Amino acid sequence: MSDRKIQIDVLTLDSVQCAACGYMMEAIAALPEDVQQMIDYKEWSIKTKAGIGKFTELKGKVLPTICIERDLVFPSRIPQYEELIDEMAKRAPDKAMSERLLSLRDKGFQFDKVQENLQKAGAGLSTRQS
Amino acid sequence: MAKQLLIDAFRGKKTSRAPWFPYAGVNCAFHINEKAEDFLKDPALIAKGVSTTAKLYRADGIPLLFDLSVEANAVGCDLKWWADNVPSVSTHPCSGMQTPAQLGLKVPTKESGRWPVIMEAGRQTKPLLDAMDCAMVGLHCGPLTLASHLAGVRIFTDIYKNKPFAHEVLKFCSEVIAASAQFYVDMGCEIIGIVDPVASQVKAESFEEFVTPYVQDSIKVIHAAGGTSIYLICGDCTKVMKNVCTIGTHGFAIDEQLNLNYVRDMARKHGVGFGGHLKLTMALSLGLISPREDAIASLASGGTEGFVLAPGCDLPYDVSAESMGQVLEAMDWYAENYPAYPETED
Repeated sequence: MSDRKIQIDVLTLDSVQCAACGYMMEAIAALPEDVQQMIDYKEWSIKTKAGIGKFTELKGKVLPTICIERDLVFPSRIPQYEELIDEMAKRAPDKAMSERLLSLRDKGFQFDKVQENLQKAGAGLSTRQS
Repeated sequence: MAKQLLIDAFRGKKTSRAPWFPYAGVNCAFHINEKAEDFLKDPALIAKGVSTTAKLYRADGIPLLFDLSVEANAVGCDLKWWADNVPSVSTHPCSGMQTPAQLGLKVPTKESGRWPVIMEAGRQTKPLLDAMDCAMVGLHCGPLTLASHLAGVRIFTDIYKNKPFAHEVLKFCSEVIAASAQFYVDMGCEIIGIVDPVASQVKAESFEEFVTPYVQDSIKVIHAAGGTSIYLICGDCTKVMKNVCTIGTHGFAIDEQLNLNYVRDMARKHGVGFGGHLKLTMALSLGLISPREDAIASLASGGTEGFVLAPGCDLPYDVSAESMGQVLEAMDWYAENYPAYPETED
């Protein structure tokens, strides 16, 4: 199986301020650990100039949007777990990873590491800790 | 500042000018040099911040709070606090697919969670706003957003795969938000809004099954008290626009991602008021687009029949008085150069 991870970019207003953006981020952060090992993801808040740059680069149309391997896959629609797995599998770098992902289709979201995963993805970085 | 204009516009009526409803939220804390967390925990700071900002922005109405974590926290969700933002919900009690009944969750009272602070804030703020003829608007969380807080992101899968569970959660949310509506009625809010940002993220059929039925209890409470009801939604809600127009509230508000001409035509077709949709980031926060030009474009599209000028969503913490000053300048310029059509003066 390829060492290369699937790149996921989440275009948001700000996952702290905007609930829809927050749950788009959580859709990725709550993927089970086996899936986490196959993906890299990052929040791009349009409240920052870097976020505006990424929105433009990926030709974003609406906020929030989940982009997988630079494709605008879920524009303004929070996906079901299985839909996310299927769309990642379609864009996996090789067949082995695609099959591995599809084998995790019945696992479902897991919430024990959500906060830790959100932090790794840069969620809330445009916001100051109290 | 004219409270009645705001009420009339949200009820779809013609007005002598488009009323102005800035959802200032934690931006009120910024204007009194306080951290968002400190502001939200202190009734006196809320009263000071909201009244100061209402005056600064010459608002016809202003929310007491714009914080969608209140209901979730009152039923047991933990919060993460921020210095320059609203708190975020960090735990989801129903995420293991246990229903609120199985978990023993209770509909909040005025003593639950942060409600004592909010009730006291309302008591202090109302007379200050009344003196300026500015409406104190109560905003509570919408059902699908509250369900997301309770169950986490799995609710968006459950509305397809585990419908009985999703309905159980939403039914409880309906009762919780009806209680919130009653609290705001008791505070004297003339306008009460149901804020459901994630409802734009589902299909129209799901909206009809999992949103529309679960706002009705809240709407009944508001209307029974003679209040004006609004439904606020964020994101690209084009696919559910008809559902929003027919949800049963007097009016609704949308964000900057929609075409305001389309929204206006839909609202007028259904005889409801509509609010929107200044650009939060590009214009008001970052100034990449002129806030003045942006406001003029909204005023021109919205007109003076059922239209309320408002931001696309709650204002970010550090939006400056200068940016908002440009919006006020646009309103003055527009009123001077494009007065309401004579037929509105009946």
